[in-house]
Amino acid sequence: MGLFEKFEATATLYATLMSQSSQDPFGVSMDEMKGPTRAMVKGREIVLAGTNNYLGLTYDETAVEAAKTAVEESGTGTTGSRFANGTYNAHRELEQELAEFLGYAHCMVFSTGYQANLGAISALAQPPNDVILIDADCHACIYDGCQLSGAETIRFRHNDPDSLDKRLSRLGPDVKGKLVCFEGMYSMFGDVAPVKELIDVAHRHGAYALLDEAHSFGVFGENGRGVAEREDVLGKVDFYTGTFSKSLASIGGFVASNHKELEYLRFSSRPYMFTASPSPANVAAASAALSRLKADGAIREQLWENAKRVHGAFHQLGFELCAPVSPVIAVKLANKEQAFKAWNFVMENGVYVNLAIPPGTPNATSILRLSVSAAHTSDDLDIVINAYTALSEALGAGAL
Amino acid sequence: MSGVQEDDDLVFRKICSLIEPLNEKGVKLTRQTDLIADLEVDSVAVLDMVMDIEDFYDISIPVNTISETKTIGDLVDAIHEIKKEQS
Repeated sequence: MGLFEKFEATATLYATLMSQSSQDPFGVSMDEMKGPTRAMVKGREIVLAGTNNYLGLTYDETAVEAAKTAVEESGTGTTGSRFANGTYNAHRELEQELAEFLGYAHCMVFSTGYQANLGAISALAQPPNDVILIDADCHACIYDGCQLSGAETIRFRHNDPDSLDKRLSRLGPDVKGKLVCFEGMYSMFGDVAPVKELIDVAHRHGAYALLDEAHSFGVFGENGRGVAEREDVLGKVDFYTGTFSKSLASIGGFVASNHKELEYLRFSSRPYMFTASPSPANVAAASAALSRLKADGAIREQLWENAKRVHGAFHQLGFELCAPVSPVIAVKLANKEQAFKAWNFVMENGVYVNLAIPPGTPNATSILRLSVSAAHTSDDLDIVINAYTALSEALGAGAL
Repeated sequence: MSGVQEDDDLVFRKICSLIEPLNEKGVKLTRQTDLIADLEVDSVAVLDMVMDIEDFYDISIPVNTISETKTIGDLVDAIHEIKKEQS
């Protein structure tokens, strides 16, 4: 009994919302994949516009071939951790490729992007003398990294360098290490951080800056090196974290840095040491996708062209959008109930997007979050825009 | 409790004024009011409300401290403690 009572409020909310819904937004199963932007769901072909497949490389021929070869040559799994028997040459090579691409001296590959942040933050900051400062809208893995570290954690207002400045100024003389964490592009709204200003404030106070480019790696910057490249601050970032599960179309994560002490994390970061390393297929696919990303800037251009088209169309339709144009396009709705109905409506019109409702959304907003892919065809985007046009009409008529 | 200081009362009132917009059910606010269970406010909203308190008093309240507070009274006590430390 005692274990389960705490779930009741959320379970009741979920049941209430589900009772008005033909499908479960949090339980969609792709019955059959039809490519990077299409899947069969309950017998219907759906356009996938709620993935993080920004460059659309999940079916890239070179990545698929590389993954197949890796399985044949190195097996299906490593059955060990990076720290023990799970480090192969391929892991080391990918670390070097990432470090070279981003211009850092060191890089560590983790099993997921979540674990990269969890592992870096929890190992770098330790109680009682270190303090972590995080943007209020940081992803759960950054919050969890803080919790696992046990160090004192202070939130600053979202994308607000002055708020960070105030909080760093208040720290007492007994504080030793200071770690400031923020993201390049935020996953829910698609808004971009003032990374240069945040890094400047952090460094002025003798703090280290950790920048998570999970959603912006491959997307921003002339060469796809992220918001840090666009803002010309790559060399100033102390710890650059990222994931393979978005633009690199695989699973895994990494931390890159010019601090040679990053290597210490290999024997002190528990989420690195005590979990299986990414599989040969995952590593090979990420490496191949990175090569494609480096060689073919046209993919990124296509992504932005698609993003501009959808963002422009939604703006025309009069939707309240959460951020300027980026590959994440979030439409704000009145409340949870309306957002739930809107999600169903869009799904019935053949488009899968993400429903995001509080808790866990910034400012307790309810949104439909759409993510654009370079692989979306003109037909895909027609279907998306048509679905939202119908949604706009239904909302206007008070039908939802 | 005897000897409730005026300042104590001011912190309590300040918190109440910040919570009021979140108090959709109109629960009577006392030191015993449980922020999440009684007010049905989600944990993120509590964190955001605490940020207003931080800016008002020019103090920093760690997330670690907030996760240990359940009631309005816990929060009032924590703020007094931090004000003393950080002044």
